[in-house]
Amino acid sequence: MSYIDIQNLNFAYHPKRPILKNVSLLVDKGQWIAILGHNGSGKSTLAKTMVGLLDPDSGTIVIDGITLSGETVYEIRKKIGIVFQNPDNQFVGVTVRDDIAFGMENLGFPQAEMLKKIDFYAEKVGMKAYLDKEPAELSGGQKQRVAIAGILAMQMDVIIFDEATSMLDPTARKELMDYIRQLHNEGLTIIMITHDIEEALWADRLVIVKNGEIFRQGSREELLKEPDMFIEAGLELPVELQISNALKKRNLLSVEMEEHLWESSLKK
Amino acid sequence: MKNVVIGQYIPGNSFFYHIDPRTKIIAVVILMVATFLLETIWQVLAGFGIALILIVAGRVPIRKIIKGLKPLYILLLFTLVFQVAFNRVGTIVLDSTMMISPYSILLMIVATVIWRLLASYKKFSLLLFISYLIGLYFIMKDLAFSPIWTSWQLTIYDQGLIMSGFVIIRLLIIITLSTVLTLTTKPTELTQGLESLLRPLKVIGLNSEDFALIISISLRYIPTILDEANKIMNAQASRGADFAEGRLKDKVVQVISLLVPMFIIAFKRSEELADAMESRDFVPGKPRTRIHDLKFNYRDLVTAVITVLCLTGSILVKVL
Amino acid sequence: MGIQFKEVSFQYPSWGKQMFEAIKNVSLTINDKDEFIALVGETGSGKSTLAQHMNALIFPTSGTVEIFGISVTAKRDKKIKYNTLRQRVGLVFQFPEYQLFEETVEKDIMFGPKNFKVPEEKAREMAKKALNMVGLSDKYLTRNPFNLSGGEKKRVSIAGILAMDPDILILDEPTSGLDPVGKNMLMRLFQEIQEKTGKTIVIITHDMDLVYEYTNRVLVLSNGILEYDGTPNHLFHRDDISKWHLDYPTTITVLKSIKDKFHYDIDIYQKNVDDAVNTIAKAVQL
Repeated sequence: MSYIDIQNLNFAYHPKRPILKNVSLLVDKGQWIAILGHNGSGKSTLAKTMVGLLDPDSGTIVIDGITLSGETVYEIRKKIGIVFQNPDNQFVGVTVRDDIAFGMENLGFPQAEMLKKIDFYAEKVGMKAYLDKEPAELSGGQKQRVAIAGILAMQMDVIIFDEATSMLDPTARKELMDYIRQLHNEGLTIIMITHDIEEALWADRLVIVKNGEIFRQGSREELLKEPDMFIEAGLELPVELQISNALKKRNLLSVEMEEHLWESSLKK
Repeated sequence: MKNVVIGQYIPGNSFFYHIDPRTKIIAVVILMVATFLLETIWQVLAGFGIALILIVAGRVPIRKIIKGLKPLYILLLFTLVFQVAFNRVGTIVLDSTMMISPYSILLMIVATVIWRLLASYKKFSLLLFISYLIGLYFIMKDLAFSPIWTSWQLTIYDQGLIMSGFVIIRLLIIITLSTVLTLTTKPTELTQGLESLLRPLKVIGLNSEDFALIISISLRYIPTILDEANKIMNAQASRGADFAEGRLKDKVVQVISLLVPMFIIAFKRSEELADAMESRDFVPGKPRTRIHDLKFNYRDLVTAVITVLCLTGSILVKVL
Repeated sequence: MGIQFKEVSFQYPSWGKQMFEAIKNVSLTINDKDEFIALVGETGSGKSTLAQHMNALIFPTSGTVEIFGISVTAKRDKKIKYNTLRQRVGLVFQFPEYQLFEETVEKDIMFGPKNFKVPEEKAREMAKKALNMVGLSDKYLTRNPFNLSGGEKKRVSIAGILAMDPDILILDEPTSGLDPVGKNMLMRLFQEIQEKTGKTIVIITHDMDLVYEYTNRVLVLSNGILEYDGTPNHLFHRDDISKWHLDYPTTITVLKSIKDKFHYDIDIYQKNVDDAVNTIAKAVQL
């Protein structure tokens, strides 16, 4: 059975403008899936419904066997964490230490345990030296890492990254992506929401969303065989694959060249 | 905007830093009450003396306290002038005839020019100002030669001086008390202290935990908001908004161009922050554990004892 | 004329806990015509600080910035109306949220010209023109700026500065947050403005692909020091730009990897994908 099972989800703020149309999705434990779509495709809305921040108009969401509802939402929130796009607007604590503690305090963890966990997870995300610093002294990338530490400290198995890199500069973005890969290697289930195809290619599976519907989904190997599909979905291929595609159209693409360009695009 | 210091907290290690914030808050309140019970200038001077002893003993940086008093110089000066001018009780201390003539006006203008020229040396500005006033006094008293246009009597009674001294020193004590409080207590500790003290108010429906959370989140965002205000002003200034000058009508639009983005950003922030808090299992009203604990120690006892002694002293002095 | 930096340094007054950017001893000249400049450098290198000197938002702590003949130094000259410089040098910030505030797009774009005493009717005209320039139709004039998408807001904020008809246009990360289609559209718009009016455009960016494809001069800042001032081509021919935390444009890296692997004799310095494809095509056909 899949860890996350979403069936026929529909959501709209105004009845005439639906944001999610009949979305169904399965996520296995330990998987890294990327939900990829143009701006306004409904991807962030999907993320918010998964943690119960938005109520779908119809459809079901089942996480680890529990069906999401008004009563079970608190249970669900102990299993899935979400890192948002704006590093500043999710930092609650007055210091790094306080922010990592926030979630645990909400769950009623005993003090001694919290203090131990804070040290452990701060170290894990590389922020141990900053425990007493205030958010005004941190960069965007550092704040995101603190958010991750707070979520890990609550022993969550699934982390959703909702465009978590889009407000970061390229260096911080690379660092965060590396860290997400590390988390995945340690067994965490990762759901990454992005409009950047280069980031999405790191994932095991891609789910392409267009206008509120799931357009295509599959492994990156499968999907990259249909480059025109990406363009239809309002996305742009990485440069290597644009070159590959163009050469193919002119019948000048050798097998080695194709492989080489393919590998280059995934190497990052 | 860049010179605002939030909270005035300066890290340190002396006695005052390790007292439980609840004790400090209550002590400060009680001591302020005790100060207002005092009636004569000698009592108030004694009170000030005690305060000074405590500050020196507690190794609180006096310089910071003096800095905290700076914005109030004008208020203190006003009190002095007010009392001196209108208090006609007691024995006469100074009785001089102040005369104004064309010559004295000329001299006063010269004195003013000299003062303004020297005023760029900011270090002695207060001293300079006082010398200026003394200079004006002597010009009007002794250096006016005929023809004399008008004259007025400057009479200073001793009670006027004494009363102004009383009010000023009492004010100084109050400010010193509150400055010591904010200097030695982190804003988060203050919030936690208040939260703990206000817990009994749950009976009338005020949840002090939520209240404390609101305060600590607001504190956390102050630097962020200041930074944004700066960025917004820069963006609008780049479009020609001149925040320094302009007629009133223009100024209104400038202010709106600053406030509207600030509010919009603030609303967006509240929504996103609420989402983030909820996703991390926050439920308003549900009891939460804390990583910070407030614990009493011997220092609190010492503080309590001293506070009670001071209060008793004030009451006794009033009653006897 | 234009903007001249003469040994300009700037230190933020350190207040409490802020991270400050500084620039050290920067000297450079920007012409008011025909330049399309990219200002690059890692975060914290001083790019925004440098840009804010160009329209006298910031005054240098030492050195002189001459903007269209007016000298801006550390001492504020009360006789000079520095505000007028901001009409000639238009600076667009990165986040439109810090700028949009009126009820309609039209009113918001008119804010700039009106601040410079342009009469109402003319301002309205200029607003319409600026809006069309950024690729938005007249329909948008009556819309509420807060109901627009991210990309639309960005374009409205740029229109707000274009409407003032500045001689030099500076944009701080104009393409950040836009999808690839939006990015290219915007860059082509700047190119068009450059070609049609000859105005100088300066963009602060992290995107080396855009730098290579569209600009003709690069200023590299590292730790507040101006480390490079020259053409993009010259810059990317160097092999040491990583010390300034810069990447090479993707076309160059891909072509280099192909050249190394397949031993084709190709010129790896191609500015865009089409040129890159053509280069490889030619080599393959041999």
